[in-house]
Amino acid sequence: MDWGRVKFFLGEVGRSFTRNTVMQITAIGTVAVMVTLLGAFLFIRTTLADLGNGVLEQIEISAYLDPNVTPQQVAALRAAFKADPRITSAEFIPKSEGLKELRERMRGVVDTSLLTQNPLPDKFRIRVRAPELVPAVAADLHRLNGIGNVVYGQALVERLLRLGIVLRRIGMVLIGVFLIVAGIIISNTTRLAVYARRREIAIMQLVGATNLYVRMPFICEGLIDGLIGAIAAIIVLGVARVTVWPRMLEALPFVQFNAAVVDLPSLVLQLLLVGGIVGVLAAWISVGRYLQT
Amino acid sequence: MISLRGVSLLYPNGVRALDDVSLEIAKGEFVFLVGHSGTGKSSLLRLLYRETRPTAGDITVDGIRVDHLTSMRVPALRRHLGVVFQDFKLLPDKTVWENVAFAMQVTGAPTKDIMRQVPRALDLVGLSHRSRMYPDELSGGEQQRTAIARALVNNPKILLCDEPTGNLDPANTTEIVDLLLRINLKGTTVVVATHNQAVVDRMRRRVVRLDNGKITTDKERGYYYLGLGQSQVLSG
Repeated sequence: MDWGRVKFFLGEVGRSFTRNTVMQITAIGTVAVMVTLLGAFLFIRTTLADLGNGVLEQIEISAYLDPNVTPQQVAALRAAFKADPRITSAEFIPKSEGLKELRERMRGVVDTSLLTQNPLPDKFRIRVRAPELVPAVAADLHRLNGIGNVVYGQALVERLLRLGIVLRRIGMVLIGVFLIVAGIIISNTTRLAVYARRREIAIMQLVGATNLYVRMPFICEGLIDGLIGAIAAIIVLGVARVTVWPRMLEALPFVQFNAAVVDLPSLVLQLLLVGGIVGVLAAWISVGRYLQT
Repeated sequence: MISLRGVSLLYPNGVRALDDVSLEIAKGEFVFLVGHSGTGKSSLLRLLYRETRPTAGDITVDGIRVDHLTSMRVPALRRHLGVVFQDFKLLPDKTVWENVAFAMQVTGAPTKDIMRQVPRALDLVGLSHRSRMYPDELSGGEQQRTAIARALVNNPKILLCDEPTGNLDPANTTEIVDLLLRINLKGTTVVVATHNQAVVDRMRRRVVRLDNGKITTDKERGYYYLGLGQSQVLSG
């Protein structure tokens, strides 16, 4: 390890970084704001998705059998459910038990003693591996021999699934916009830094420094901007998690948010990565443009 | 060492800087490129260190085909060359020592080579005692000597000088030209673009004259104005 070389390089990075403090702070601040928004969004999205999943996980499909189904058909259906990898459990509920459940559920609401005969068909109670599989499985069940009506919380499932998709899309767009804004600011900072150091760059190129070597201090600068911005954002988010979040829960007592589902180390890592990558990319593009002209 | 064949350079704005120029410069030569401002001297030098590319023709510098050189390989070419300018191009916030060392540091030279070669280059240009000073504390001649030390510190085989004495008074001019001569005597090929008639006429070296982008004379031990009498030169 040639420490003289390392020292010189770090000196160059430091010199470049401290040359335009105001712009540097602007860039770091912008990254911090963008990453904070991004982090808050990711956090809320995860808890919302968890909320939706909690509801969705309790969704089951009731596949009612035709009244004149044969025992062979029932056996065939069992085999078919077992063979389907999407289905985690399929419980056969004979109509007598169905009636018992109905009576149980309607106790005090409707006088079920009025029911003199059992109007219910036999059914299978089916659970699937993932909520988003429910509509497809239900449609497939409908096509099987011996199955009449298939019932699940269609409207609820579809609405929740659509909400998930919409959230994901909004997330994509927001993330894209954040990153572009942060990128533009960093790239402007880099451009100013490059402009401030144009004499050095000209001499470097004249004496035969490689383009990579010329770029490196600026790339490091972008990386530092991005990382410091991300760290600031993480601190802000951490403080908000401790102070704002409990109050938000108090304000919305009817919603069962569960913050524990957010994988914090992975979120922190993601935000650091985003900050760093945006910084490096923006600086890289900005210096590259200058070197080409 | 340097070879140009049928080289033309047409700038995008339509100016024809060089027009079918052919020139051979051997290893260890000392050559003056003379001519009025705008006759293509600087353009010719810029082609040699691949700051621009010719519109037509072949250029070879130290065995490297410069006209075909991709941007990726330009740094390798420039490490074989030293280039000196009229405005010195020193970094004002670095000392003499740092300015010279910079050329080695940014090309990734090991520290022990830098510690060995920078003092040697400063010694050659006679600036060892000024190594801790900043450029604005130096005379013009000393600044140019710093620039020359920087150009030489990587031991190039060729030294290209574009109006090296353009900003200097006569005393400093003599000092710089003598230095370039000493460098040449050590075996470095030196090409000097200048319109300083006194220097050229005193030195009596090979003189290549450019007029409107064409070589009009090329003479060993030449004068600035070849074929003109001294009195005509002075009056014209």
